[in-house]
Amino acid sequence: MVCPSLFSIVTVGENMAAHTSRAFLSLGRINVPGLGLHKSVSRVTYSTGLSTDSSKATTGSPQKGGKKVLSKKYKREPGDPRTELMPVDQDWTAVYPVATPFIPDAIPLPVRMGCPVKGGAPPEKKGNLELIKIPNFLHLTPAAIKKHCEALKPFCTEWPSALDTDAKCDEHFPIKVETKSYVSAGPSIRNPAARIVHLSVKLSSLNLNDQARKKMLKLVGDRYCKDTDILTITADRCPLKQQNYDYAMYLLTVLYHESWKIEAWEAEKTVADMEEYSWEGSLSQENILDVLVRMKEAGEGEGEEVREQLLGRREVQEYKDSVTRLKNEGENESTMLQYKEAVKKVLKL
Amino acid sequence: MFSIISLLYFYSFYPSLLFALHSPLCCWVTHVRSLHTSGGSQQQEAVAAESEPEPLSIFRTQENDPACQSEKHFGQYYTLPSAHVRTVFPHGLPMRYKQQVKTFNEACMMVRPPALEVISSLKKTDNSKPAVRYLFYGLKGSGKTMTLCHTIHFCYTQGWLVLHVPDAHLWVKNCKELLPSSFNSSRYDQPLQATEWLRNFRITNEPFLSKIKTKQRYVWTKRESTEEGSTLGELVDQGITRVKTSSDVVGAVMKELRLQSGQPESDFRLAVAVDGVNALWGRSTIRKMNNTAVDPEELTLVYNLRKLMKNDWTGGAIITTLAQTGAVYTSKYSYLPKELLGEKGFDSMDPFIPVSVPNYSEKEFESCYLYYMDRHWLQYPHSRTEDGKKELIFLSNRNPSMLERICGFH
Repeated sequence: MVCPSLFSIVTVGENMAAHTSRAFLSLGRINVPGLGLHKSVSRVTYSTGLSTDSSKATTGSPQKGGKKVLSKKYKREPGDPRTELMPVDQDWTAVYPVATPFIPDAIPLPVRMGCPVKGGAPPEKKGNLELIKIPNFLHLTPAAIKKHCEALKPFCTEWPSALDTDAKCDEHFPIKVETKSYVSAGPSIRNPAARIVHLSVKLSSLNLNDQARKKMLKLVGDRYCKDTDILTITADRCPLKQQNYDYAMYLLTVLYHESWKIEAWEAEKTVADMEEYSWEGSLSQENILDVLVRMKEAGEGEGEEVREQLLGRREVQEYKDSVTRLKNEGENESTMLQYKEAVKKVLKL
Repeated sequence: MFSIISLLYFYSFYPSLLFALHSPLCCWVTHVRSLHTSGGSQQQEAVAAESEPEPLSIFRTQENDPACQSEKHFGQYYTLPSAHVRTVFPHGLPMRYKQQVKTFNEACMMVRPPALEVISSLKKTDNSKPAVRYLFYGLKGSGKTMTLCHTIHFCYTQGWLVLHVPDAHLWVKNCKELLPSSFNSSRYDQPLQATEWLRNFRITNEPFLSKIKTKQRYVWTKRESTEEGSTLGELVDQGITRVKTSSDVVGAVMKELRLQSGQPESDFRLAVAVDGVNALWGRSTIRKMNNTAVDPEELTLVYNLRKLMKNDWTGGAIITTLAQTGAVYTSKYSYLPKELLGEKGFDSMDPFIPVSVPNYSEKEFESCYLYYMDRHWLQYPHSRTEDGKKELIFLSNRNPSMLERICGFH
């Protein structure tokens, strides 16, 4: 008497798809004598557990034995996926509060992923392993980020009201230090890429005269960008971020002081070392003055004052501008045309 | 008087025709005649030929004298007399053009803006001022050498003495014989190139050879010398017959001409025309006996030509062209003056007038196309259609030399 009731408790206690196979097994155990009862009970639960799993995997298909046994009473229909029941203005941060793998029935988007069948579309999201494999950021929607910010606000201080424009920030804090920190789920929280430090500063904010600026540019080489006038020092030779930061600051200090020093051998700077072309004292100046003197443009006079007078002429100044532009900017149609006009004017053609 | 007023009224509509007033009297008359009869606009279509009863060909002009050509002849072909071709250009024309002259049995050259610009400046040159330097530059095959030849033809017709170096690159590469110079032991002679140049110089400037006298005595060997006061012709003959001294003869000729031009007693004007002037300041492929490269400065011919390039002499002009085609150690795509001349070359040529020679304009392309059609150079019927013309434009990008090559296959 006890046995059937126990069995019935067991059968009722089981969830979902109560199968004919289970009922069959439980029925089969009734005739076992008392001692074997426990064993049979445990065996039955174990076997029912197994059969439950197998029944979940093969929903609706006939059992492996080949015998069809009707047990519609215990079959529970799968309900609507949660997506049908979600209101449009729900709080998404409650659905995905943390990083969770992709759950097709919890995400109301008709996403497809994978290799499309020939002439068809990629497979749908239901049962799609590809969507589960990839990382998703459904826990980081703008609403979620807003909530994070609101949670962090009590711990923040206010932005100084005096620094309301970018220009003021640059003026008071010309040196900008950029570092990256990394977070990843793994056995170690260290990341060697976190030691890199980028220090950027605008050269116009440093106190450099002409000679010092040219020397600084020669010392730093590639680290200077001409378009934005920013010097970037990247330090990554030390193992710790703090050490790299100290090294970068030290480099900046040394560069500044060294560029102000003038060595004895710097006086031997030749024309080939010059960064820009300067017309005074160049061959071009000699040539044009020579030509003009021979054309007797200045009239009679002695060497120096004739030269001074010629240099003061407007055409000669225009010629000087055109040659300087040609040499510094390189050749193109406009510089060539300007040079041609200037030469024509100077030679009076 | 009434005709003059009507003419002035006419000119007010076409101000560019006023230039006709400045040309010499003979041209003025012909221009007046043509304006009266044709009276057409010179916008897109070229003005028709002169009023004389001749077939109307838009791409040809009867104005064969470069001095009388003006903007209304832009894009039109003028014919060079064959006698001129033989004397003026024994060595100056491009190879493909020479073949074309032989095929078409006539030498026709197009009148283009860069050439006329330089020609008009040359007309105004002052004999007492230092020589002005002109430099033609442009993309490969855009017509720089032809423009130079046009200018040389003008100088010849005006009676100038033409010193034409057809390709300065020939002097810095492929030298079969290199002798150490007898005059200066650090320099090298190139007898073959020098003799060939002297021969061509003699053909071009036959009339001047007997008129110009040397001002200095030149001693070639212990037994040979050229006395002061002997004619230039004797000097040139000396160089051609005695091949060993030819490079020094070239140097002597250049020096004499440089010193004498612009002087009050000499009645000639000197035009120095050099094609491929960037070779003078570039690198050479010639090697010495110990396999080190020869600097162009160490070659006598180049050294003397460089002295000519300086504008310290008067009474003439220096017209030059850049050339990448025969150049050594230069990139195929460079064509601008500073990159081909280099720093040294630019500083030596400075100040010069750079003249750009572009590809054909639409009008010039039309003219060239009609010329080839007229000469039956375009064989296939497809090239006579609009589609064929568009194909030619696309394939050649209106580059003169490309167009010439492509038309040979169409």
